Amino acid sequence: MPEIAETGAVERGIGRPALEIDSLTYRYAGAPEPVLRDVSLRVEAGEFIVLAGRSGTGKTSLLRAACGLIPHFHGGEIAGSAIVAGRDTRESGPGQLADVVGYVAQDPETQIVSTTVAAELDLPLRFRGDHPAERARAVEEVALALNIPHLLPRTVSTLSGGEMQRVALAVALVTRPPLVLLDEPTSQLDPVAGDELIWLLRRLNEEWGVAILLAEHRIERCLAAADRVVAMERGSIRFDGAPREFLRYATDRDPALATPAARMFACAGIEPLPVGVRDARSTLGSLGIQAGSGSRAAAGTPERSRRDAKAGALVSKGLWVELDPGEGPVDVLRGIDLEIEPGERVALMGRNGAGKSTFLKSAAGLIDPAKGRVNAPGGIALLTQNPSDYLVRERVGDELSGPLGDAALDAVGLQISPESDPRDISGGERQRLALAIALAGQMEGEALPALVALDEPTRGMDRGLKDGLTKLSLDLSERGAAVLISTHDVEFAATFADRVVLLGDGELIADADTDTVLSGGWYFATEIARVLDRPGLVRVEDGARWLDENLQSGSGA
Amino acid sequence: MKKLSPLAYVPRRGTLQTASLGPVALFLGAYLVVCFLSSDPMVLLAATAGAAIAGYGCLADRAVKFSFKLGALLAISMIVINALVTSRGATVLARLGEWPIMGRVDITAEAIAAGAVIGFRAMGTMVVIGVYSACVDPDRILRAVHGVARRSALTATLISRLVPLAASDQARLSEAAELRGPGANPVGRVAMAHRLLSGSLDRAVDVAATLELRGYGQSTRGTRFAKVPSRFDSRFWVAGTVLMAAAVLSLVLKVGEFVQYPEIRYSPDVFSISLALMFALAGFTTWRHGGRRHAGNR
Repeated sequence: MPEIAETGAVERGIGRPALEIDSLTYRYAGAPEPVLRDVSLRVEAGEFIVLAGRSGTGKTSLLRAACGLIPHFHGGEIAGSAIVAGRDTRESGPGQLADVVGYVAQDPETQIVSTTVAAELDLPLRFRGDHPAERARAVEEVALALNIPHLLPRTVSTLSGGEMQRVALAVALVTRPPLVLLDEPTSQLDPVAGDELIWLLRRLNEEWGVAILLAEHRIERCLAAADRVVAMERGSIRFDGAPREFLRYATDRDPALATPAARMFACAGIEPLPVGVRDARSTLGSLGIQAGSGSRAAAGTPERSRRDAKAGALVSKGLWVELDPGEGPVDVLRGIDLEIEPGERVALMGRNGAGKSTFLKSAAGLIDPAKGRVNAPGGIALLTQNPSDYLVRERVGDELSGPLGDAALDAVGLQISPESDPRDISGGERQRLALAIALAGQMEGEALPALVALDEPTRGMDRGLKDGLTKLSLDLSERGAAVLISTHDVEFAATFADRVVLLGDGELIADADTDTVLSGGWYFATEIARVLDRPGLVRVEDGARWLDENLQSGSGA
Repeated sequence: MKKLSPLAYVPRRGTLQTASLGPVALFLGAYLVVCFLSSDPMVLLAATAGAAIAGYGCLADRAVKFSFKLGALLAISMIVINALVTSRGATVLARLGEWPIMGRVDITAEAIAAGAVIGFRAMGTMVVIGVYSACVDPDRILRAVHGVARRSALTATLISRLVPLAASDQARLSEAAELRGPGANPVGRVAMAHRLLSGSLDRAVDVAATLELRGYGQSTRGTRFAKVPSRFDSRFWVAGTVLMAAAVLSLVLKVGEFVQYPEIRYSPDVFSISLALMFALAGFTTWRHGGRRHAGNR
């Protein structure tokens, strides 16, 4: 039975609940076990609920069941019921539920079906048979609400992942449904866009009365906005209650689910656990610990990258790259000077569209510079955003074989049967297999290529999988390779990187050690840095140690 | 920022991009019909050239180059394969002796010619599909499909989105193939094609789910997609009708018949030369007065 904590949010519901799930059990066609087991959940109108849980615990399936994709699109066996705004999903398919529920899936690319953004927003209204004047107004209003009016005439194929995610959300909202389901909507967004999205959802929730059910791994982003948290484990709901109670549940039962600030407080023995930065600061203030030093460190300067390295793993000198997304050429990278040495672990960060992926592809020789140069003298293995793109055959042994293949699999720490089908292995294993494919033949004996680069590898990963990736990057760097990872995830960057390079609109705007860069800003800063606002304090352990010292000394720092 | 697939649709002011779907489908369909049904190499090459000219006229240069390269590779493969596996034909160019599994291998001029006809067909088809993909707005196709397949989002997706999805998947898979280490097993064309097709179908299913979530299957009687007429429609109706009629007539009358076995017999007459010229020059139908620059970005 789930632990049910009292919540005030439930009482706010008026009239019919937005969603009522009763004893729902579901098994995908051909799957050996149910992915949802006896799930019961009630979402009142106007509630904001965060769905937490590790990867593979049934969050996505629960959202699919709530919008009718399960069982109508995915088939399988279902027991129990899901009622959306009074309509039973067993009788009404996703099309019939379109006016009462909006759904934003993980991959924004499969959620866009039109050529231009304006046409995409207009489509559900057309299907509903709205009058042209009503459609025009609805499109304009939702574009304004999501701050995307400038995107309306754009061709969708030219949008960045973050822009696509916003458009997908706008489409889900354009019919003004009473319930919106979101499956990791911030996974492709930079910290700025991610925070903006969560607060936008909260605003829509408060002003439009839209009920929100949001599945998310980076829970620190959305906990402060939530009325309730529902935690899932092995297809069942294990917890349903207020955010603060959830933090207590998570720190006791599965600390990987708790926010960094909550873990820091738990380590330092401070109560109550904070649901957000403001809450944490307030608690610390009541204990006499004043956050913020007033002497902010420099957020890193591009100067570091101009030092002379004799045998750099990556050398970029005055790199300019121009791309034509179909609407005229654009300078995507503008004069990047950067050097990375073997053994370094570097996080490449920046807003969506800042040029991170373009830089990595230029380094790998996929894109020719318009001016300047970039090269990896000791070789480069690049893993792009979709590891599945590297897997074209149905046997691991057909992808990698012989001593070169075995050496590459060893390098990524993957022990897997050559008979395995790459489609049947876990997401983490698939990522390692794809990296091994990129590494194969580039190693001299056990020596790795000088640079191993990964583009946004943490999408859709829970904290446990990210820890595995951190271990892999440490292992690769200990073996002499420079590891360059493009990521939006500041918490992950703080754990794996010893240096952070920040791009802004195609230019290098900061380059320094991780502690300096990630404690020197607001958006590109870890939750610990935002709570404590002390130079160099970015990780849970460092923050907890600092709090211990200050609590023992009784000083307010 | 993403690099656009060469086959991706880009809104421009070109004639194919602005004309209605019906006349454009008839016009490009005539090229497709002649590529599928004709066995006259001159007509096939002329149709390929005409489709390429049509694409260039609408600034689909990248799509034409890309699909031509792909088609040419396919054509060469077919010539080689047919030459090796078919020993029919009277004109033996080389005797390669006994091969395992294949037995006796003789290279004949007739087998090469037969392979070339199949290859030219494939090349022409690729170029027509490339031009179609780069110049015809999938939204228009979706609107057209909506009129006939109101309930099936999957049908609508497969018709309107499969080519654009495959084009974007192909761009990503090609990048990944370039990034494979030299020690990984190389990506063969067959494995790549299989992966591309299965991946695109999977993604098409996801897109169909999205379309359903948008309310596709629930379209009300009020759902209307207004037809936007174009001043280029009549041009494509006329050109398409003439080309289609000529293509059908040439097949009925067996104009320019090209016999490969047992000996090559080919005697192009005035009709087949006219047909080839017609298909090549009809490509200029897509060109606007004032040339290609008038077909620039919208």
